[in-house]
Amino acid sequence: MDKKLKVEFLGMNLESPLVLTSGIMGLSYSSLLRMAKNTAGIITTKSLTLVPRKGHKGPVIAEFNGGILNSMGLCNPGIEDGLKEVSEFKRYSSKPVIVSIFGNSIEEFEKLTEYVNHSEGDFIELNLSCPNVFDEFGLPISASKDKVYQIVKSVKSISKLPVIAKLSPNVYNIKEIAISCENAGADAICLINTVGTGMLIDIKMVKPILHNKFGGISGPCVKPIAIKLVYEAHQCVDIPIIGVGGVLTGEDAVEMLITGANLVGIGSGIYYRGVEIFEKINDEILQVLTENKYEDVSSLPYLK
Amino acid sequence: MDRRITLEIKNIRKESKSVKTFTFSYNLNAKPGQFIMLTDFECGEKPFSISDCTDNEFSITVKKIGEFTTRLFQLKKGDVLSFRGPYGSSFSLSDKVLLIGGGYAVPPLLFLSKMLKKYNADITIINGAKTKEDILFIENFKRITDKVFFTTDDGSLGNKGTVMSIVSPLLQNEKFDMIYASGPEPMLKKIVDMCDTIPCEVLIERYMKCAIGICGQCVIDSLGIIICKEGPVLDKEVVKRLSEFGVYKRNASGKRVYF
Ligand SMILES: Cc1cc2nc3c(=O)[nH]c(=O)nc-3n(C[C@H](O)[C@H](O)[C@H](O)COP(=O)(O)OP(=O)(O)OC[C@H]3O[C@@H](n4cnc5c(N)ncnc54)[C@H](O)[C@@H]3O)c2cc1C
Ligand SMILES: Cc1cc2nc3c(=O)[nH]c(=O)nc-3n(C[C@H](O)[C@H](O)[C@H](O)COP(=O)(O)O)c2cc1C
Repeated sequence: MDKKLKVEFLGMNLESPLVLTSGIMGLSYSSLLRMAKNTAGIITTKSLTLVPRKGHKGPVIAEFNGGILNSMGLCNPGIEDGLKEVSEFKRYSSKPVIVSIFGNSIEEFEKLTEYVNHSEGDFIELNLSCPNVFDEFGLPISASKDKVYQIVKSVKSISKLPVIAKLSPNVYNIKEIAISCENAGADAICLINTVGTGMLIDIKMVKPILHNKFGGISGPCVKPIAIKLVYEAHQCVDIPIIGVGGVLTGEDAVEMLITGANLVGIGSGIYYRGVEIFEKINDEILQVLTENKYEDVSSLPYLK
Repeated sequence: MDRRITLEIKNIRKESKSVKTFTFSYNLNAKPGQFIMLTDFECGEKPFSISDCTDNEFSITVKKIGEFTTRLFQLKKGDVLSFRGPYGSSFSLSDKVLLIGGGYAVPPLLFLSKMLKKYNADITIINGAKTKEDILFIENFKRITDKVFFTTDDGSLGNKGTVMSIVSPLLQNEKFDMIYASGPEPMLKKIVDMCDTIPCEVLIERYMKCAIGICGQCVIDSLGIIICKEGPVLDKEVVKRLSEFGVYKRNASGKRVYF
């Protein structure tokens, strides 16, 4: 790997600023290994829950011009089996692993954290985009600065690993949420999760395409939203940011970095450019660096 | 971007008590081994191999096994279904070939055998199942070649025993350019283990959700091969290196289920 791509993240030296984001190719150790070999700097597991989840009925995916609509339904083998995949991964690779967890309550997040404490994961990521849990004002937890604060705070008080809070873009004021995370002790934030929800209709059968009707939106069309939210978050917190959303090329990645991200997550990009996307983007970042006469990734400027 | 297609069922043929072939008028332009994702927008979306495909129609052959397939069995000619695909890798064509099919995984081999016949290949087929009722496409295969062997566990049709009871002696007497296999995974494993020097392609089924290579559901250990994209047809040299092959698969949650 080219030295110019090296970055530091929470005290760890990474080969590349690229992160495999949660929920894409992240169910099994061999899948994670392949993404690591394809030169992602860090890889993230699928969000793990206390008990296994089969997910929603299909269709769970619909493509449209500009993006992807998904309602996977957080299918995962459960925290115990998920962490076994992480240890199997670690038998073959020393790349850092972010374990993503998803709970329906503070207590669930705490229990999940205990499991991750005893695992070989390197970071813990809290998927706060829970569609079913609301605060006393009817806001989803991801949009409630108080709920987000409480969850991050309680996880942080027991976690042995650095804690990353993954934020939803579907909020009124991202700054408030980002500040809550920082105040609660989050070591980093990751944004954005999928946008919406949205809906698509099959005009011949006159039915919603997704069995779940609604799904989260990802892919190229969400990039401007991700860029804006990373920009706003960067303005108001000092903790590192993993910028995610619609990144397909080296230029997109550099755009995300300049906006304020320390690392760049890749998800739907795998659909558009295959699992080799990490290698491709790394090469393209190097080209962008050369063309614009930047020494290396760490010396890219930040948008003020 | 993959487009959805909505098609009327043009014809339904009963193959056995629990197997039906559904035919649709559409130029799908598929290759043998590829599959489509099928939905009725009610009971889920499931992968099915293409069991026949010409310039103006294609078929799938379905075994009734659970909720979705039971629903399919209630449909009639003229009812509509929604498709996406074709997806995945396909079988290559060779000159002197042996097709080995087991149970309900035989449909893709019917399509393959038709393509091989067009290609003027020298074709031998071995088709095995538990009992006579479960053997698919007896007449179809007989029309493809004289060299068709059937095996049943109970001896109700053809040789009593598994397909291996024919495969082993056959391989000692004859040389093939290629072996194609589709069937229960333990059977596929035996075949792959046996094919030291003979080229071989096998069709591997895994639980599929997105079918576009992102959700990770169908990825197989230890190489991380994405079955919906890089499979379902894999070369035996790749298959031999898969620690998961013949040992376990993953269910809808991603939990391992051992064979
Ligand atoms: C590449 C491929 C080709 C296939 N070709 C055929 C075919 O030609 N004919 C045929 O009858 N069947 C085929 N299948 C299997 C078919 O997809 C299942 O029989 C069907 O999904 C069962 O759905 P159900 O709701 O009726 O049963 P369920 O009760 O849901 O499941 C019964 C069994 O079917 C399998 N299955 C269920 N859902 C899926 C899924 N989403 N992906 C993969 N397997 C699943 C599992 O092994 C499960 O235990 C194929 C599967 C794959 C992966
Ligand atoms: C199929 C699919 C599954 C996802 N699953 C998860 C998940 O389990 N946990 C999570 O935090 N985010 C999940 N996401 C969101 C992604 O991690 C990412 O935040 C979002 O898709 C935006 O990035 P992208 O445009 O690069 O895909 C999923 C996205 C997709 C498309």
